[in-house]
Amino acid sequence: MPEASILDIADVHKAYGGFAALKGVSLAVNRGEFIALVGPSGCGKTTLLKQIAGFEDVTSGAIHIEGLDMAGVPAALRPTSMVFQKLALFPHMTVAQNISFPLKLRKVAPADIAARVHEMIRLMDLKPEYLTRFPKALSGGEQQRVALARSMISAPKLLLLDEPLSALDVKLKKVLQAELKRLHRSVGVTFVHVTHDLEEAMMLADRICVMRAGRILQLGEPADIYYRPADPFIAGFIGDTNLFPITVTFRDASGISWQSPHFTAIDTHLPHAMVAADVSPGPALMMVRPELIRRYNEDESADFALSAVITEVFTKGGTVQYRARSTQGFDLAIELQGTSALPMRLDEPVRLGWQKKDIWVLRQEAV
Amino acid sequence: MEPEIARSWRDPELLIKALPSVLLQTTCFLAPLLMTFILTFQRTRDFQLRWTWDLATWIEIFSKPHYWTILIHTLVMASVCVVICILLALPAAYGLATRFKRIENEIKILITFAFITDATLKTFGWVLFLDKKGGANFMLSYLGFPPEMVAFLFTDWATLLGMVYNLLPFAIFTIYLSIDSIDRSLILAAQDAGAGKFRAHWEVTLPLCKPGIWAGSVLIFLLGVGVFLEPKVLGGGKSPMAAELIRQTFETRVNWPLGAALTLVLMVVAVFVVLLISRISGMRRAGL
Amino acid sequence: MNHRLEAGLATVLLYGAMAGVLIFFYVPIFTLIAFSFQEGRYLTLPFDGFSLKWYGELFRSAPALDALWNSALIAVAATLFATVIGSMAAIVAVRYRFNGKRMFLALIGTPLAFPQLLLGIVLLLWFSVLGRWFGFNNGVVTAIIGHVVYIAPFVTVIVAVQVASFDPVLEDAARDCGASIWEVYRYITIPLLWPGIFSAALFAFLLSWGNFYITYSLAGSTRTLPTFIFSGISIGSTPLYPAIATIVFIPGILLVMLANRFRLRAQKL
Repeated sequence: MPEASILDIADVHKAYGGFAALKGVSLAVNRGEFIALVGPSGCGKTTLLKQIAGFEDVTSGAIHIEGLDMAGVPAALRPTSMVFQKLALFPHMTVAQNISFPLKLRKVAPADIAARVHEMIRLMDLKPEYLTRFPKALSGGEQQRVALARSMISAPKLLLLDEPLSALDVKLKKVLQAELKRLHRSVGVTFVHVTHDLEEAMMLADRICVMRAGRILQLGEPADIYYRPADPFIAGFIGDTNLFPITVTFRDASGISWQSPHFTAIDTHLPHAMVAADVSPGPALMMVRPELIRRYNEDESADFALSAVITEVFTKGGTVQYRARSTQGFDLAIELQGTSALPMRLDEPVRLGWQKKDIWVLRQEAV
Repeated sequence: MEPEIARSWRDPELLIKALPSVLLQTTCFLAPLLMTFILTFQRTRDFQLRWTWDLATWIEIFSKPHYWTILIHTLVMASVCVVICILLALPAAYGLATRFKRIENEIKILITFAFITDATLKTFGWVLFLDKKGGANFMLSYLGFPPEMVAFLFTDWATLLGMVYNLLPFAIFTIYLSIDSIDRSLILAAQDAGAGKFRAHWEVTLPLCKPGIWAGSVLIFLLGVGVFLEPKVLGGGKSPMAAELIRQTFETRVNWPLGAALTLVLMVVAVFVVLLISRISGMRRAGL
Repeated sequence: MNHRLEAGLATVLLYGAMAGVLIFFYVPIFTLIAFSFQEGRYLTLPFDGFSLKWYGELFRSAPALDALWNSALIAVAATLFATVIGSMAAIVAVRYRFNGKRMFLALIGTPLAFPQLLLGIVLLLWFSVLGRWFGFNNGVVTAIIGHVVYIAPFVTVIVAVQVASFDPVLEDAARDCGASIWEVYRYITIPLLWPGIFSAALFAFLLSWGNFYITYSLAGSTRTLPTFIFSGISIGSTPLYPAIATIVFIPGILLVMLANRFRLRAQKL
């Protein structure tokens, strides 16, 4: 069976003196996928990326690319290309010289180099007249494209991106995020993207790897991470969420029984698929995303319901965010689309509810 | 500025780059200093160095007041030179750093060139200028002044002139650097608080360029105690300073141990004076 | 105080001081250049006439040409060594962190503040003692070594400024593109550091070319231009010496302007 995983990270540790930056990370990346490494600063994502690229060595564990062990292989000889956070475009070379640099090092014939360079600038949507200019003369977004072109020209097996969009302003960021996605689809190279922005990761990646304090917390598709986070840290990593304290009274193969003073529910049994694997009887959290809560009239039937008073209203263009305080003293976050649902006003007492299919139960403690 | 990368001495990148400097300065700077020290314990007889190990040389130094008068004279000259240099350098460096934007580069070139040119040549030029029949007197008599008015060649004043001339660039350089690095917005803040331009600069710039003034002073003092060209050529060799004494000891009297000892004494005293002043000013700053 | 008046006074003071300093600096230089055109044999005013004959004399004077040759030889050699050694030390000083770094910095920096004559003397002692043991005399080689010891720290300081503004991530990027260690140096490090290295080299050349104290102590009986001129300084000398001086000035001013052009170009990067 052909080896589907192009990158194999096996129990990798990294220690700097007494400080452990990576504590046993294992990950298999599939050929052609776009995987994001996400986490707060210091979680080890950049260290791991540098180890894949060959700029840092591995204290213990192994990294294989296409089945070959990368131990002792220097960065220059690995089939990886990196896009650096600061882009690292050579200021003393023209755009053309920057892009063609990897080929020049491989002693490719000048005619072939020129052809490839033109191919790249077409792919990156760069104007040909930029070729003779210096990086300094280009805008931030254009410099990004040049950096990408330089990384792609040597047809690497893995493209490694080290937070390349973090320094850009919001508008430019969105444009380039779309570009990256388009690029990935058209070229088919495996992308490993490091970012601290989970939203960005969710938008771009096929799979997301959430890291914290040197370990992988959760690995899965964006929807998995968003709707079924493994722990409250991940849940809270992206914007607001509602985490109700509940008590799990019983767990078996079919699901759990639970109770909570915070809301009323039609039934107190939840199937297995809605509960995280490591939840056991005792305190736990029930998560509902803000956009899945709405106002219910007194006569409507809701799987889960509670009474609350609206404490804050934020309008954000097409969506409205609310804060409400329940009669049990719990602060909720609710997000509604423009005018579709019944609008709620400040200080208004409301009945809020959500459906059973939209909840998720996870353990109480973060790592 | 990028953070430093840690390297160990076993890393070839570090070793290859650092080793030549280390070897060079150790064998050709530290070792000679050590040798100088060792030599002070030896003697000469009949113009030959003899490897005895005694304190004869040191006894001689401490017993002859002649050496000490020369030393004091040298220290005084160097100190006066420092004061004059700083006074001249302050307005010039300040102007260069804050105004003169358009011609700043040209001025820098002019100063650098004047600095780089050979000290002997420039001193020679001064001799020709200050001589009784030289440039200064020629121009002055042209303007109607009495002939041969400028007659201070071959005096201490001429030596001082030469010293200031050769060492002034150092002061300009260090003071310029420290003024240049002052955050412009501090001046604006002072002005915003109500200080006039002059006052703002007095209160803000002057105190902040103290490091530059201090660095320049130390540099000029240490270099000034070692001057030889100016006292000999411009001062006529009449009022010897330490370096000339040392040179004589070596060349004319061929008394290496004595010369070595005098060299060490000079350096030690100079460094001592610098440390003393910095300690005193440190204490004053601390409010003692 | 009236602000206008205050500002005006300050301007006069500043411009005046700068102008005064510049004039002060160039008095002896212009005097020398002027005297090189003296027709007569004596270096006194008024001139007998104006002529270029002493320049002609210069090119016929064997000792002068000999001194010129020595100056050039020593300067080229010293520049080469000091630039290479000093540049490497600059990279070490700015980029790396290692045990004993403070001592390293002190070691390579102290010769800067050390009075030249004393440095010359100390080295003279050292080489003389070594010369007795190993059987060599002071001469061109010892002068070169002495120059390098004194000049390398200057090179280090100048190049260090350039290194500080050089982002090491560029070297990482080059390696990522596939460059070997030598290729990184060749295509990235040296081209980017080159403006600093070049101006440092020019500075080094001029420092060596114009050096008196160290050469005086260490060159033995060999003469370079500065020591040659020293032997000729007195009113009784001929205008040959001012002519030599002017000749010495010319490469100086050219090189300084060149170095400045490079420094400006480096800043733009």
